[in-house]
Amino acid sequence: MADPRAHSPITELNHLDELLRQCVQCGLCLPHCATWLATGNEVQSPRGRLLLLGEMIRSSGTETDTNATPNAFLQAFDECIGCRACETACPSGVPFSLLEYGQLRAAEIPPHRLDLPVPAVPGAVLRRMDQPGFLEFLSQVAGLVRGVLTLVAGKTWRRRLDRGPAGTGRLVRLLGSLPTSPRSDAELVRMLDGLCGRETQRRNGLPHDVALGASDNPSAGPRVAFFRGCANSGLLSDTSRRFRDLLSASGCRLEEPAAQDCCGALATHTGRPGRSADLRRRNRDVFAGALNEGTVIVAEAAGCSHELKEYGDEFRTGVVDAVVLLAGLDLPPLGSVPLRVAYHDPCHARHGQGIVDEPRMLLTAIPGLEIVEPIEPEVCCGSGGAWGLRYPELSDELGRRKAADLAATGADLVVTSNPGCLGQIADGLRVIAPDVPILPLTDLLWYAVLIRIDSTRS
Amino acid sequence: MPGQERNNPKAFLSGLREILGDDGLLTDDAARFVYSRDASHLTLGRPLAVALPRDESQLRRVVGLCRTVGVPVVCRGTGTGLSGGAVPGHGALVVGTSRLRDLGPVDSIQRRVRVQPGVLNDGVSRHASPSGLHFAPDPSSQSAASIGGNIAENAGGPHCLRHGVTLQHLVSLDWSDSAGRAFNTGRAVPAERGLDLVSLLCGSEGTLGLVTSADLKLVVDPAEVATLLAFFPDLEDAAGAVVGLLGEGLAPVAVEMVDQAMLLAVEEAFGFGFPTDVAVAMIIEFAGQPEAVAEDSGRAGGFMERHGASEVRRAADDSERDELWKCRKKAFGAVGRLAPNYVTMDVVVPLGELPGLVREIQVIKVQHGVEIATTFHAGDGNLHPGVHYDERDPDQTRRAHAAADAIIRAALDRDGSVTGEHGVGIEKLHVLPWQLDRETARLQRGIKDIFDPDKILNPGKLHPPADADFAALKPVPAEIDFHWANLTVSAPADASLAQLQQTALERGFWIPVGALAGDEGMGLGRGTTVGNLVAELLTGPALCPAGTARDFLLELWAETGDGRLFHAGAPVFKNVAGYDLVHMLCGSGRVWAQPRAVTFQLRPVPESLGYWRFQLPSDEQQEVTLLERLVEYLTGRHGSLGGPMMIVDAGTGSVVVLIPGRSRPWDLGQIGEDLANLLGTPAEHIELPFNRATEILKAELIPGWALNSSDWTFLCRLPDQEPGAGFRPAGMGRLIWQSTPRLIWSPDPETSHPGWHADRFYSGGRVQPPVAPAEGVPFDFLIRMKTLFDPSAALETPEWMEGRDG
Ligand SMILES: Cc1cc2nc3c(=O)[nH]c(=O)nc-3n(C[C@H](O)[C@H](O)[C@H](O)COP(=O)(O)OP(=O)(O)OC[C@H]3O[C@@H](n4cnc5c(N)ncnc54)[C@H](O)[C@@H]3O)c2cc1C
Ligand code: SF4
Ligand code: SF4
Repeated sequence: MADPRAHSPITELNHLDELLRQCVQCGLCLPHCATWLATGNEVQSPRGRLLLLGEMIRSSGTETDTNATPNAFLQAFDECIGCRACETACPSGVPFSLLEYGQLRAAEIPPHRLDLPVPAVPGAVLRRMDQPGFLEFLSQVAGLVRGVLTLVAGKTWRRRLDRGPAGTGRLVRLLGSLPTSPRSDAELVRMLDGLCGRETQRRNGLPHDVALGASDNPSAGPRVAFFRGCANSGLLSDTSRRFRDLLSASGCRLEEPAAQDCCGALATHTGRPGRSADLRRRNRDVFAGALNEGTVIVAEAAGCSHELKEYGDEFRTGVVDAVVLLAGLDLPPLGSVPLRVAYHDPCHARHGQGIVDEPRMLLTAIPGLEIVEPIEPEVCCGSGGAWGLRYPELSDELGRRKAADLAATGADLVVTSNPGCLGQIADGLRVIAPDVPILPLTDLLWYAVLIRIDSTRS
Repeated sequence: MPGQERNNPKAFLSGLREILGDDGLLTDDAARFVYSRDASHLTLGRPLAVALPRDESQLRRVVGLCRTVGVPVVCRGTGTGLSGGAVPGHGALVVGTSRLRDLGPVDSIQRRVRVQPGVLNDGVSRHASPSGLHFAPDPSSQSAASIGGNIAENAGGPHCLRHGVTLQHLVSLDWSDSAGRAFNTGRAVPAERGLDLVSLLCGSEGTLGLVTSADLKLVVDPAEVATLLAFFPDLEDAAGAVVGLLGEGLAPVAVEMVDQAMLLAVEEAFGFGFPTDVAVAMIIEFAGQPEAVAEDSGRAGGFMERHGASEVRRAADDSERDELWKCRKKAFGAVGRLAPNYVTMDVVVPLGELPGLVREIQVIKVQHGVEIATTFHAGDGNLHPGVHYDERDPDQTRRAHAAADAIIRAALDRDGSVTGEHGVGIEKLHVLPWQLDRETARLQRGIKDIFDPDKILNPGKLHPPADADFAALKPVPAEIDFHWANLTVSAPADASLAQLQQTALERGFWIPVGALAGDEGMGLGRGTTVGNLVAELLTGPALCPAGTARDFLLELWAETGDGRLFHAGAPVFKNVAGYDLVHMLCGSGRVWAQPRAVTFQLRPVPESLGYWRFQLPSDEQQEVTLLERLVEYLTGRHGSLGGPMMIVDAGTGSVVVLIPGRSRPWDLGQIGEDLANLLGTPAEHIELPFNRATEILKAELIPGWALNSSDWTFLCRLPDQEPGAGFRPAGMGRLIWQSTPRLIWSPDPETSHPGWHADRFYSGGRVQPPVAPAEGVPFDFLIRMKTLFDPSAALETPEWMEGRDG
């Protein structure tokens, strides 16, 4: 199986030029672009970037020569989060691959040529992010650092840290904030019971972890191969377990190929195409068997499912995002969750895979729950993986902007389905609306099932 | 020294940086390249830099600095303009408003909101939606275009058929002149007279001043909306059906069309599943009271079927309606799929000329061998034919531009205008002289010289060169001339307004500025002429108006003080070809120019008038509460054809309520029930056919309230007053309350009431000269405009002008 990116059609300049002509410069993409919304600078807008790309191509003739291209042009691509909101918005069908091409060009140039707030997060840290256990380790350290800093310096640590090497403060905050989302089942239940105004009962098994139990109809669901994802397994392992629990309770026959590795997205984001290709090759081998047997591959994080679909045609059809899978399953009966809930669409789901209705269908299925829609559901939260570490200030601003939009709905709770978004929005909400918690969608569903089991028992 | 520092850009840039901070000034190659473009695909040069001020004061200081050093300023909203308005010339400073995004609180009583220019059009409506209100102008670019850009281009949109273009939705503007001075120019008072600078600034494409903040009108969300989708096998039939539908007196809120070529592009882009083997898809929308909407949309559907539609569908719910509108609004963007390049036109013709123009475009298409895809704001007579080509083929390019010019000529031959909403910019500089006469063009340049003596504001836009080959003056109409198919009427200034209205009313149409009754009674004064209506912006305690003359005036012939005739506007429903002299002069008295003739838009008359009379309770507190509740109820009942009014006479204790509407159980019938509930007692009640109403009212109903012999003052609450403080000045016992324009008319001699603006409009039945303009108005400009229009002071000169310098 060949890597589709190895001979991406976009490398031909004639073809690029042809695609660029499809952009009518209408500007309708601007209000969907997070970087434009935050800066008001059209260089940091989809149309601006496309105009620059056109100029780069026209002025170079044969091959875009990054050395001859003004820094500011390349910087504009480096500043693009890659969220693809512009692609969804564009009435003229201008493909994101154009911007991606620009990003690849920008990635070629040595970082010191870009006007970045160096030194950024140590390269050594970034490089290890996709290694098993590292994120979990890091997040524990970060949690510790947060705790100590808050104790020692009170609330000013945030500001002090932000004045330090760019991105480090942010990394500590984000990673440190993930463990604050509930880990054990007991914690999750207590928190949601509290929000719903229920008294937490002494349940069978609680406060220890509980399982939902097997489905009444154990083999009714599809065969599913579970893709772990490094952020989920490292930082949200309890959520991940509850997700699998939910799948079993819905009759899925679950398998979890042991030799699987990171999907490769993190390596791509941190400018290591070689490592990314390696990981892809490894995963393709690991899951080839499953694909041949018609087993669907499910990835819990939208970022992973999106990346896996890029592996090639078989993966594009064989991989399914967790939310889409759940929406198609015969879920166990759900109990009432009388909350106003706002859903945040991860860009990898909404723009990358066109997933919009499924999470809302799932939420609507929960009795008593009211969905509230933010004003800008299509705008990126500014997490952007490694991007956020390179542009911490912009990223923070976007996180707060997103948090404000979500909080303005009057929601009691925000849910989403990607760990990056989860940390980013949690961080924004802490500043904007400290009373509004955020959870993975699967955690909320799991809780709804549990509530129903409880109510039938009592 | 102006111009000196131009050679020293470094000093200039550091001056800018001092004002804006580092992050407010972009000087890099990427910014200078990106900001040299907009949606028009036209370019002039590379700007020196881009300024992104964070507040209004920064913006003004930047403009002021540019003036001192002589650097051109090009204001920019979101760059969605289609005529190159925001494209800078070489060495200019682009001033972007994208960081001026403040939204003020929504005043749901006065239905207004104050916003900064960088707020996006959509953002205003989203902001107002919790109050059940929205901003009516809805250009297809509304998700991206800025309010500043909307104002500078006087943007229109599908729903402008019902609600009017941006100009009709402005209360006041804060703006910076070319020297960075701050002004507030307002129309907070609905019938305020004087030179209307809001009309001048709106549509001036950033060539006269920069809008720094705007007070916008909001309209009430409709209770019910019905959207029809009709398909036609023939384009000309479809255009004819639109003319026929409006001629029937139906008042849809929007009538839009896309032709087959456009439909194919949209289908390819979005796959809505519309048939593509039809010549036209048409959207017709009705909004308002549920039963009225049902009745009208039913009639419209039947009409379309009888007039050539092959199929009429009705949107089942909101999401289907959204799909339909998405199809229409995304059409322009989808043209990128048709061909690499295109020229989009924006011509507008009198409504009745639409079928003929459509036919002619077919001929032009064949003659020039080009492909054309068209979207239509059909109800407005405004269309966007896009000629497609590939710039790599020189012959095709030449043919495309020739075809475009031929279409513009064809529209002008039909009494149309070169641009209905996109503006002149640089794109239409070569065609504007085909439409403007030399004198009008001279006055427009004169205005530019007054507002921007150093020519730093968006130079090279909007004004064709002085030596262009301008059109001949359009002949001045000699008598009242109805163009029923166009729904317009032209008349010389000395024509009798009553006579004009009488003829119109017989056909079921009128100029809805208040019903008139010959020489007497409830009207706008004895022997009123069309010229007076326009010059004085006459309003009065007249029957159920839907607005003032300014809202329905389309075209004006006038004479300057030194006897030069000029012609402004066109007999079309939207027109942004140059400065809007028509609306600027409407209501300015005979100080700057004398009206010679006009063209008005005609609107359908309401079917009936409901009349209720009852006695006020004797208890004073009860009386106050009752009237307040009545006003609240009636305010919610104002329609597009004319609004309710109430006549209170505390002396006799009588109250008369007049409401235009339909004699149906669900309309005037329902209102009767509501009133009975409010009053607690039944009222004396009659329903009259609307066109007989004035005659009956004059004869029987309100003796002694004649306009002609009375003194009338109009009052309107000052904008900064607390809402909810009562609908009338405390203790005012005799008054006429009007919902549209929202005014109170008082016959009492006492005019001063704290918190209220008062204007003694009529004294002894004669119109009084307007009071001096409020502060915040640039007096020097007004006076220099006087010199421009009336160099030898041959016309009236108001007192406040004397002794002031220009
Ligand atoms: C897909 C598409 C659909 C469109 N549909 C419509 C439509 O239905 N109806 C319609 O009327 N137009 C339409 N337009 C045209 C365009 O969107 C409007 O003209 C819009 O009002 C421009 O707003 P902007 O913020 O993009 O202004 P810009 O393009 O940035 O500027 C336009 C002009 O306004 C001036 N300007 C901007 N801000 C200010 C300010 N604060 N003070 C003074 N001058 C200022 C600029 O100098 C320039 O001359 C459409 C355009 C596109 C691309
Ligand atoms: S990318 Fe699409 S939406 Fe953006 S300017 Fe180009 S055509 Fe318009
Ligand atoms: S991918 Fe996202 S950040 Fe990049 S241009 Fe598009 S909308 Fe903007």
